[in-house]
Amino acid sequence: MLNLMLLSVGVIALMAALLGLVIGFAARAFAVEQDPRVEEVAENLPGANCGGCGFAGCADLAKALVGGMASPAACPVCSAIARGKISEILGLAANAVVKQVALVRCGGGSGKAAFKTGYNGVSDCKSATLVASGAKGCNYGCLGLGTCARACPFGAIEISDGLAIVHPRLCVGCGKCVEACPKKLIKLVPESAEVHVLCNSPEKGPAKKKVCEVACIGCRKCAKAAEEGQIHINGFLAEVNYGNPPLAGLVGAAGCPTGCLARAKQREETA
Amino acid sequence: MSHEYLTITIGAILVNNFVLSKFLGICPFLGVSKRIGPALGMSGAVVFVMALAALCTASIYNFILSRNIDFKIGGLSIQGNLEFLQTLVFIVVIASLVQVVELILQKVSPALYQSLGIYLPLITTNCAVMGVAVINAGTKRSVLDSTIYATFSALGFALALVLFASIRERLDLAKIPKPFQGTAIALITAGILAMGFFGFSGLV
Amino acid sequence: MALEHEHFFFRGGIHPHGHKELTSSSPIQTAPLLDKYYVILQQHIGAPPNLVVKDKDLVKKGQMLAEPGGFVSAPVHAPTSGEVKLLDWHSSSGVKLPAVQIDADGADEWAPDIHPCPDWENREPAKLREKIARAGVVGMGGAAFPTAVKLSPPPNKKIDVLILNGAECEPYLTADHRLMLESPEKILQGAAILAKVLGVKTVLLGIEQNKPDAIAKLSGLAKSGGVTVVPLRVMYPQGAEKQLIFALTGRKVPAGGLPMDVGCVVQNVGTAAAVADAVVEGKPLIERVTTITGSPVVRPGNWRLRIGTTLAEALTLVGGIKSQPAKLLLGGPMMGHAQTSLDTPVAKNSSGILLLSHDEVAQYGSQACIRCGRCVDVCPMSLMPGPLSVMIESERFELADYAHATDCVECGCCAYVCPSLRPLVQHLRRGKAEIIAKRKKGK
Repeated sequence: MLNLMLLSVGVIALMAALLGLVIGFAARAFAVEQDPRVEEVAENLPGANCGGCGFAGCADLAKALVGGMASPAACPVCSAIARGKISEILGLAANAVVKQVALVRCGGGSGKAAFKTGYNGVSDCKSATLVASGAKGCNYGCLGLGTCARACPFGAIEISDGLAIVHPRLCVGCGKCVEACPKKLIKLVPESAEVHVLCNSPEKGPAKKKVCEVACIGCRKCAKAAEEGQIHINGFLAEVNYGNPPLAGLVGAAGCPTGCLARAKQREETA
Repeated sequence: MSHEYLTITIGAILVNNFVLSKFLGICPFLGVSKRIGPALGMSGAVVFVMALAALCTASIYNFILSRNIDFKIGGLSIQGNLEFLQTLVFIVVIASLVQVVELILQKVSPALYQSLGIYLPLITTNCAVMGVAVINAGTKRSVLDSTIYATFSALGFALALVLFASIRERLDLAKIPKPFQGTAIALITAGILAMGFFGFSGLV
Repeated sequence: MALEHEHFFFRGGIHPHGHKELTSSSPIQTAPLLDKYYVILQQHIGAPPNLVVKDKDLVKKGQMLAEPGGFVSAPVHAPTSGEVKLLDWHSSSGVKLPAVQIDADGADEWAPDIHPCPDWENREPAKLREKIARAGVVGMGGAAFPTAVKLSPPPNKKIDVLILNGAECEPYLTADHRLMLESPEKILQGAAILAKVLGVKTVLLGIEQNKPDAIAKLSGLAKSGGVTVVPLRVMYPQGAEKQLIFALTGRKVPAGGLPMDVGCVVQNVGTAAAVADAVVEGKPLIERVTTITGSPVVRPGNWRLRIGTTLAEALTLVGGIKSQPAKLLLGGPMMGHAQTSLDTPVAKNSSGILLLSHDEVAQYGSQACIRCGRCVDVCPMSLMPGPLSVMIESERFELADYAHATDCVECGCCAYVCPSLRPLVQHLRRGKAEIIAKRKKGK
């Protein structure tokens, strides 16, 4: 018995050694040229292969990062430390990476915004836009049919009261909703921004007010109350300059007559 | 002789289909069957690996492990055979084989390597490959017969995979209720497909 | 392919109730002069035209307001004399369009540059084509494609048949029917001019058999003019270009192709009449016959309206409404566009103003396709609208492209028969838009 055991151990050891040699040889002979940084970067990525970056997995993203085809901000699941390390490996400035979240720039839900007519058709914003630009009175506003919510792979968008709302804690900034919205209403903004203007219509102020209670009428009160360069006025629409954003206190100080100047959602969320 | 091979062929592909009758290799079956393209790629890889694995393992089993040993070295005398080592030896051989195949594939066809992704190493721990090796050992087939059996079993696997991929492409367009979406409806469909294949029993 | 005069039958199609008896015996009435007309500059397919008048200019009837903005473009003219006011029109499709408001001065004076050409038979085809182009004639059947461009096929496309579309297959519409009964000579004259411009000898005029009086009248007059009147089977969409060409000549327009690929040019009878006006009388296109109809309308009828007449004004002509409509469509019930405002003006291609009551309008549901196959039976383009709509709903546009979604002519036969009440045409429009956008990106 013992002898058989010894023999079997011997046989296995021999086989292992042989196979080891074969694999070693194959690894040398069929080696593929790879930038050593790719492995370093891949080590710092979460390895979940979730696809949130838009690439086919963490290994794929690592290759794209080294090849300059993606930025470290692309990985939504990465921690800030990991992102910093990746930027270091790639030789990028560490603060080039800012966490972004999506923002739906419309506040006109049901009850606040009027409809021009009834709509009976496909429950999808892109399809509804093909018919008279959507049934809403404002041709630039949110239709609330949920195309963005369905496009979000992280379930961060909720349709409540006919309006799409992004929950910033769930949003990773992948940008799929930005592409999905036919009105180009959704924008990626820095997570740290405290104040937003929830209106996207370039129409004249009085025309906007006729169809929506919370439209931006271009009164400029916010621009006057804010510091230089924090709020741009583009015709009849105010826009926050996210490069130099105003602080939360502006909402109270400006006295916006329609309520389109609003504080960022995460401050109000309790959950 | 040829009549026998025909029996083996129909048996391996339809009657005793590895996925739908023996329920081996479910992991790649569910994992790579979402689109017909990767399904075909995976099928090719599995056929290749299974045939090669059967060849190697059958050779090792027939010529090394099942050989009755009876010799003396000095005071040591050893008798018996090493059949009991088959599980360990087979798994190590198959694992190394797949590693080498992966390395070769990465060099020769990076596109296929990318599209198969994680499923290549999954063929290693795939019970279908191990299963065919063990079945061959159990039925004590010759090396040639083992390889032929393994090749046709792999073709049966490929058939089940491609059929299932076609069904899943259609399922993709249907309105599935939320509790059933994803793997749930896939498993139910696979079960129904397996029931369908039971109709072949008694053919050979 | 050999030309035959018994016609071929296209596959599919539906036979909805025509409802034409509401207006088919009403002679065309001419609308009185209004105070204001709103002329949207773009009333054609193609490049937008460029304004040639300024705010507060005084213009005469038929004066050019905007000139063509490219080869595939058409000019637009003032429907009456008066003062110009430039404005941006919010169309019911949500797009802002440049438009001209004409405040009528009541004189309704013609512009001095109207040159009649009674001896057109002695003119060069190129000169005739130029006159048609300058008159802003576009396809009046609904498509509004600039006629002069249709009459200038590239040199490698040989045209040998001119087809006049008198089918008027849309339910409710009778404008072309009345035009054929009341101005048959003008239509035939227009046909002769078009034939001269194209240099063709074969002219076929297709009329659906639900208009026997028009067939009889035109057959009688056409014999001398080299036009053959062909009675057509009553089936929607008999008047669709590709189906009409097949019915009259047996030729099949290839997928993604145009009628000129099979040697044909198709023109609506209304367009032919407009061509006659443009060449013989020198008048630009500023008015058209429109059927104003529907059960909520007090006195349905056929009216000659000037472009720029608002829907509100058009409805007062017919005595207003006697019940609340659910939908107001510009065009017919199958392919017309639902409107959201009565301030919308009538354009060169507005063949009908249709009001439908609540029980006449079906409610779409969001139910799944049950794969019954009714839509496949009726699709005149041999597509599978149900499965296509499922692919488009799941955003698998590459599959829809493979299944020829871009061949769809949006006739509405599929949505008409779907038992799940799926909005199939809307799905297909979305799919076509995405596929074409992807193709452009790919290029």
